[in-house]
Amino acid sequence: MIARVAWLLARPGTSGAAASLLPVTAFAIVTALLLVVLGGAQSFWTWSDDIGVTYQALAVIALVLLVVPLASLGGAAARLSARRRDDRLATLRLLGATPATVSALAVLESVVLAAAGAIAGVVLYFLLVPLVALIPFRGEPLGVDGVLLGLPALAAVFAGVVLLAAASAVLGLRQVVISPLGVRTKQDAPKLHWLRIVIGVAVIAIAFLMMSVLQVAGSMLVIFAMLGLAFGGTIAVLNLIGPWVIRLVAQSQARRAKTPARLLAARSVLESPKAAWRQVSGVAMTSFMAVFAGTGIALLGSFGEAGDVESMQLFDDIRTGILITVIGSFLMVASSVGVNQAAGILDRGELYRSLDMLGMPTPTMDSARRRAVMSPLRITAIGSAVTAAIVMLPLTGAAIIVAPLSLAVIAGVLAAGIGVVWLGLLATKPMLERAAAG
Amino acid sequence: MSSFVIEASGLSKSFGQTHALAGVDLQVRTGEAIAIMGASGSGKTTLLHCLAGITRPDAGTVDFQSGAGRVEVTSLSERERSRLRREAYGFVFQQGLLIPELTAVENVALALMLNGMPRARAEEYGRGWLAALGLAGMEDRRIGQLSGGQAQRVAIARAQVTGASVVFADEPTGALDSATSAEVMQALLDSTTGQGRTLVVVTHDADVAGRCSRIVDMRDGRIVGERVPGVAA
Repeated sequence: MIARVAWLLARPGTSGAAASLLPVTAFAIVTALLLVVLGGAQSFWTWSDDIGVTYQALAVIALVLLVVPLASLGGAAARLSARRRDDRLATLRLLGATPATVSALAVLESVVLAAAGAIAGVVLYFLLVPLVALIPFRGEPLGVDGVLLGLPALAAVFAGVVLLAAASAVLGLRQVVISPLGVRTKQDAPKLHWLRIVIGVAVIAIAFLMMSVLQVAGSMLVIFAMLGLAFGGTIAVLNLIGPWVIRLVAQSQARRAKTPARLLAARSVLESPKAAWRQVSGVAMTSFMAVFAGTGIALLGSFGEAGDVESMQLFDDIRTGILITVIGSFLMVASSVGVNQAAGILDRGELYRSLDMLGMPTPTMDSARRRAVMSPLRITAIGSAVTAAIVMLPLTGAAIIVAPLSLAVIAGVLAAGIGVVWLGLLATKPMLERAAAG
Repeated sequence: MSSFVIEASGLSKSFGQTHALAGVDLQVRTGEAIAIMGASGSGKTTLLHCLAGITRPDAGTVDFQSGAGRVEVTSLSERERSRLRREAYGFVFQQGLLIPELTAVENVALALMLNGMPRARAEEYGRGWLAALGLAGMEDRRIGQLSGGQAQRVAIARAQVTGASVVFADEPTGALDSATSAEVMQALLDSTTGQGRTLVVVTHDADVAGRCSRIVDMRDGRIVGERVPGVAA
């Protein structure tokens, strides 16, 4: 019976094929990016010499940094997949379907869409392998053999993506099962405590002090421990104060807004600063890391010209790694923004249609939603980079003098990343125009 | 000058094989409240959309008479019709369809800001309209913090704040209980015909239609009757 109802529900609804295609595309992107990242990291494990271990440690750091935007993208894809049939499933529940039936239908739908997307993602990964194989590390390209994952890894990623979709469907539809008449009333915007900023500033100050006294540390072990603590502590703090800062800025923007688009954008961010942060938090990590590590590498590179060839090679490769991590992170954030925007347009279709009837120009609606993403993104990217620059102040100052080009490259990549996210928003503009036209 | 604010003639509109409108003629007089009634699928919402310039009919014309002169709505571009709706018309929908993240006064002021009015002045006007509709003190509440009837009054204020000469309402009381429905309808009438403006209402509700000055009945995309409430057909 469940399979039969699921088949009936699978037919295109009022939101058209986009409602099914979007989650499939999102899962395809998640799968492909995850496989590319794992494939790239795998190639580092083919080296067994001493310096190879250093590369493997750096690969692990890059993977950890990419987990945040990837999880955000995966979650967005799963939520979109689960949400698209909320109304129909709620109707089924009202018609007498048991909670178990509704849950089973939700899971089945999401699993089928995720599986279709994951298969497309594997195909996309195979198409990308030749390009990834060209990336040079240790003086030579990684090679197809290095980045090509085996069947067990492919199967594990496939299963992981499908499981993520199933889990998100269960969590996302719990409300439909509990209360089919429940509606999202959006009664009150959540508040965030000012204590977050106090803790944040304290941790950043401690990190700054630790970096200032780095040169008096007795051993390399202590230096690495201090670097790790400063890096990890500040990253944790970014998550703590990020939503608070975004809310603070949006409050000020809402007060000062003079045009409909600016007012709508600021209020939309204030609706959920945590959601606005979640969408772009991956950029915070990479932006911080790019400046934190980039500064160090820029300095070491400029001072290390008298150093050995192997060290110079390592500095070059770390720089390449940073750039790849930053680009990967921005690609994931851009996809995540695209998926979230698509879901938002589907959710608010009726409202957009009514605003069009009232005579609100579509460019005004488009400008409002673009601002609602780009403003938190700029705050996040620039704020994190500035935080890293403050923590690393003694080194940043020196790097600006001795290695301005390296810092300029990092700044350029961050700017390009913001541009990629903007393109992700642009991609969903036709959907908005269709929704407004009804 | 014609006493008709809107004149439609020969309106036809099809969606695929469905003929939503099949040659409708209708004149709407300045300052009247006209109710369009009919079963689901009779074409009443399509007629309202054509009269308001939301939908362009396949055939026929709609003329709008304003202080600035006569405009043939059906010959305007999409952009010009959008501007006409923004500046000359007001709309009230069944669910209000207000913007949930904005406050009550911001929802109302937005209509004026879209026409280029500075925000501070637009909010001042908005507060005035909200107070006139019995919502003084609730201006800074978000839509989710208002009852269905209160939210619908905010929608009425939004429709009126621009000084619209015609307000189009699609099932404005459809989601409300009978007591609230009567209150909202009274507020709608007071703020439109009570001020010399025109109201066009699409409704299933005989009580709502009964408070209008004229009722037109529709079936299968045609007007099949016209009556004055309280007078036997």
